Amino acid sequence: MSHPLRAAAFTSDAERTTWHDETLWFVRQKRDKAVYGIPEFQQLRQLASDIKEHTLSRLDEYLEQFEQNARANGVQVHWAADAEEHNRIVLDLIRKAGATSLVKSKSMLTEECHLNPYLVNNGIAVVDTDLGERIVQLREEAPSHLVLPAIHLKKEDVGETFHQHLGTPKGEKDPQALTEAARLHLREKFLIGEVAITGVNFAVAETGAVVVCTNEGNADLGVNLARVHIACMGLEKLIPRTADLGVFTRLLARSATGQPVTTYTSHFARPAAGREMHIVIVDNGRTRQLGRPDFRASLKCIRCGACMNTCPVYRRSGGHSYDFTVPGPIGAILSPNIDMRQHSSLPFASTLCGSCTDVCPVKIDIHAQLYKWRQIIAQEGELPAAKKLGMKLLSSVLARPGIYRLGGKIAREGLRFLPHGLTHAQALNPWAKARELPEAPKQSFRDWYAQQAVKQ
Amino acid sequence: MSSRESILAAVRRNRPEPAPLPPVADFGGAATVEQFTHWLHFIGGQVIRLAAGQPLTDAVRQLYPEAVRVASDLIPATVPVDQHTPTAVLEAVDVAVLRGELGVAENGAVWVPEANMLHRALPMISQHLALVLDHRSIVATMHQAYAAVQHTGNYGVFIAGPSKTADIEQSLVIGAHGARSLVVLLR
Repeated sequence: MSHPLRAAAFTSDAERTTWHDETLWFVRQKRDKAVYGIPEFQQLRQLASDIKEHTLSRLDEYLEQFEQNARANGVQVHWAADAEEHNRIVLDLIRKAGATSLVKSKSMLTEECHLNPYLVNNGIAVVDTDLGERIVQLREEAPSHLVLPAIHLKKEDVGETFHQHLGTPKGEKDPQALTEAARLHLREKFLIGEVAITGVNFAVAETGAVVVCTNEGNADLGVNLARVHIACMGLEKLIPRTADLGVFTRLLARSATGQPVTTYTSHFARPAAGREMHIVIVDNGRTRQLGRPDFRASLKCIRCGACMNTCPVYRRSGGHSYDFTVPGPIGAILSPNIDMRQHSSLPFASTLCGSCTDVCPVKIDIHAQLYKWRQIIAQEGELPAAKKLGMKLLSSVLARPGIYRLGGKIAREGLRFLPHGLTHAQALNPWAKARELPEAPKQSFRDWYAQQAVKQ
Repeated sequence: MSSRESILAAVRRNRPEPAPLPPVADFGGAATVEQFTHWLHFIGGQVIRLAAGQPLTDAVRQLYPEAVRVASDLIPATVPVDQHTPTAVLEAVDVAVLRGELGVAENGAVWVPEANMLHRALPMISQHLALVLDHRSIVATMHQAYAAVQHTGNYGVFIAGPSKTADIEQSLVIGAHGARSLVVLLR
């Protein structure tokens, strides 16, 4: 199903759409306030972009350096070419540990690889421990935002879900009470302590450490009580030096939620005595993206979600309308790399206003890449038939001045006499779904201009 | 060819033109107790300045009069904790009183390396957390913080305020999974 169709389903509830729009805009405003407090913020963005640019230009060397240092720390490093291999490696590690359950903190990579269903099908009980992720997991939904996984839900929805699964009183919708219920429920899971899976925000080549940022403390609680820690990372998470974390930790939370920093910025380098730590480095299309000069900058993304909070299309269509692990503008430039045919409508889910590019903390030219993907999608013949035909028709008209003039005349006259129901029929003119056509002028600009010339 | 080799080969084939690594940044900034206090309050934490000569034990008792199970290596503890302490014991800790290495004025974060934690899970599993910090150990920004820490060690965490979440309708709730409150005791 294409983005417009899914978006139509979301926007059919106007009140909820408005709430979603305003809530995310509020997060954007919090981001602005945090950013304006830092005089060097623009310099930090440039630095972050440059550090990532450098890292990508020597990524093979940094990956090897990282692996070497991690191994020296007693960490086992695994490499996965694609999602399937990643999932196999993780399952294998869980089985070797003799575990049947695990706790998981936020990891968009494991979402991308569809790890949860894979593990569940293989008899492993998976518990997402980030509150938002737990909510959507209980509802058997996907996260709808990078950092606010349950932002598409209202507290009444969460209350109903917790009533069904956690036994909270029917009608309980107080966020404080619901969070407390989740805290107690998830503590039980943490205490079992077999295997903990985390994502990775940054991987430091010079130390072999991985850095995980959370507000809830669920990553640390999970890892530090479990016998085995598995950290799953895309290969673009590398940064060269510990000092570079100074730049990225100043940008990440401010861009994401307007906080000055996440509550926990945790550096894992060596497992505690008697425990195991594994790092799975995943490609899954990233090296292909690296080879596309127009699109490789998307690999700089630090998953802050600022581009979603500011995007007028995302705010009004919801994360699920993108039907991709990473929604919003950044998702719309990452997804065609994974499967262009399936995600061909996403680069069009944008007004090209450029707000995403303006807020991106690593200066990815998101809107320019959206535009470039559109060219490729059109060239590859992946446009919907109506759009393809429309474009063809339009280009043949625009190439013939006589036909263009005639067309204009017919349209001007027609709009005056044809019934509104016909000119605004949604099957014929989808543009008019929520818009009114302007009143048709009496004459064209060309006619008017010719008259002026005669008058003179 | 192993996945490792094929991935590295693909990276070598596709990597962009060389680009320089920028020098380590430092933008200065105010390394003041006032800034640190402002930001820690902003993110839901509390700063308490210990009076000269005031024993830490008294301050902790005043702050947590109800706390029965206190874990600490700075004051007499009622629950001994080390890296072998079982989870069931850790889980029952009311308050952990631990040493913070340095504070960051721009965001209220405190660096807590593994050596200060008694057990890696203690700062998160304890119901409440108090970090004792020397007021001279406050730096301005994360740049100076990482410069001072140098190596992040086997495990270490910047802890900025109490555990929190806003995952339900963006309503801020303090006390998600980690400590329900965080106090920095400045001396």
